[in-house]
Amino acid sequence: MADTIHPIHHPAHQAAARGALEIRGLTKRYRVSGTPFTALQDIGLSVAPGEFVSIVGASGCGKSTLLRLIVGLERQFDGEILLDGRPVAGPGLDRAIVFQEHRLFPWLTAEENVALGLLKSHHPAADKRRLVREHLELVGLGAFAKAYPSQLSGGMSQRVAIARALVARPRILLLDEPFGALDALTRSHLQAELLRIVRAEGITAILVTHDVEEALYLGDRVVVMHPRPGRIAGIIPAGRLPLAEDGGAPGPGFGHDRADPAFIRLREAVLAELGAGHAQPPARRAA
Amino acid sequence: MTNLELSRAAHESALIAGNGRLDFPVETDPKPIGALLRPALRPALCVVEALAFPLALFGLWTLSSRLGWLPVQILPTPEQVAATLADLAGSGDLWFHTSISLLRVVQGFALGGTAGLLLGIAMGLSPRVRRTVEPLFTALAQVPPLGWIPVLMLLVGIDEGLKLLIIAKAALVPVALNTQKGIRNVPDSLREVGAVLAFGRWATLTRIVLPAAVPSVFTGVRYGLTSAWLALVAVELLASSEGLGYLMVWGRQLFQLDMVIAAMLVVGLVGFALDWTLSRVERRLQRWELAGS
Repeated sequence: MADTIHPIHHPAHQAAARGALEIRGLTKRYRVSGTPFTALQDIGLSVAPGEFVSIVGASGCGKSTLLRLIVGLERQFDGEILLDGRPVAGPGLDRAIVFQEHRLFPWLTAEENVALGLLKSHHPAADKRRLVREHLELVGLGAFAKAYPSQLSGGMSQRVAIARALVARPRILLLDEPFGALDALTRSHLQAELLRIVRAEGITAILVTHDVEEALYLGDRVVVMHPRPGRIAGIIPAGRLPLAEDGGAPGPGFGHDRADPAFIRLREAVLAELGAGHAQPPARRAA
Repeated sequence: MTNLELSRAAHESALIAGNGRLDFPVETDPKPIGALLRPALRPALCVVEALAFPLALFGLWTLSSRLGWLPVQILPTPEQVAATLADLAGSGDLWFHTSISLLRVVQGFALGGTAGLLLGIAMGLSPRVRRTVEPLFTALAQVPPLGWIPVLMLLVGIDEGLKLLIIAKAALVPVALNTQKGIRNVPDSLREVGAVLAFGRWATLTRIVLPAAVPSVFTGVRYGLTSAWLALVAVELLASSEGLGYLMVWGRQLFQLDMVIAAMLVVGLVGFALDWTLSRVERRLQRWELAGS
């Protein structure tokens, strides 16, 4: 039945097609104290399975709103959001999100927090325990399973949040400025870690950030958004950039080499694209 | 570009400070001896600080009775009060009256606390219950427990029922208000996590809302118990033939102020013990909050 509607995503190919995101004509309007406000206008974006897409934009460009729509926290919108061919309607365990704040439950230990990610999945209890342990180890916190969030540093808490997001094996991981509140050193360390984890899980990822370097270091593609109304200004491919030798993580770093001339050229290109969004709205309004 | 420079500067300064530990906290510096001694002394220091004011007050009382600032009929000497306390304890009267009062407070508090908890949860969870109940509740809560006595006397007489209802009412108000506040103040950020993890209503209630409300609920329970104890003594002063409040009335009528002060001391100590016990339970329940400090 579904085969005839979505011939590409035949059940036999589902494993290969897991985590394909298709956004078409997505428009989101709010009412802010009575006046209508367009947060997102006509967004179109295709993300391939296993791809890492970064979204950069000034604050107010609707990039966080886009993630909230994909994850299902906002249900009212025009257009289409399809995950592996199926329209998104409300939250589900096939999508996970990591927020800027870790949002761990302070009354639960690290492992209990991660286990919450499996509360609504139908694994036997023993499998759940194993998955929780594996994912805590994946983020390098196997030894901190019994620690409460108040005992963990900001970076460690954010790792627990990543483990909680991944434990139910979602098809797509959404990251809303996940390292924005961390110090520079912890941030670069966690960026490399994140790439290692995402590649290990073979999961599709969309990262929202205002840090152009972070977007280019992590992303296969960088989507630049402009505000008022939030829209896609350009998509810059970064997949061919040379990889860094030392990502800071144990093992090979997968991220793009920040010191490479091609990286720096692309960074200037992205900044120029972003700057265009800053400079032009008043000029356009005047015209 | 500035970003890069900033992050490099942060990196370098972190390394210079010998702080290249990323996000894993590592204890490196040996603690000075003073810091090592302090934890051992802290409880003793706390007790000394807590006792300083009562001891000063006691000293003033002793001084006043030695120098005869006030007639002994009005302010009995500490020795008189101690002797009366010993008498009351020896004859079993003290235990009899205290146990009666405690039983009343336990029953009334169980009744009012449970009702307050349920009402608070209902008002916290359901906007409709809040809209219909809260205005009346707020208005009734403004009437102090003693204000209810005349009406309740006519309805239920002056026996145990009256005392139970007054104590229950005194406990209900703070418990219900704080429970409601705790439930309504659950951060949206945590509710969203529940939504993303596909929690249903039951999971949201038991995994997020109620645990998040526990600190506020407990504040209400402690206030409730304190106000139940206060209401008890007040209601025993008015309508009772036993209990610590009655002991005070009796002492006053006989103009034995040593007995009044003895009863006051017991009331204060029992109230303090009740609150202290609850604070222990509270710390036990919220050890996650203390874990980091």
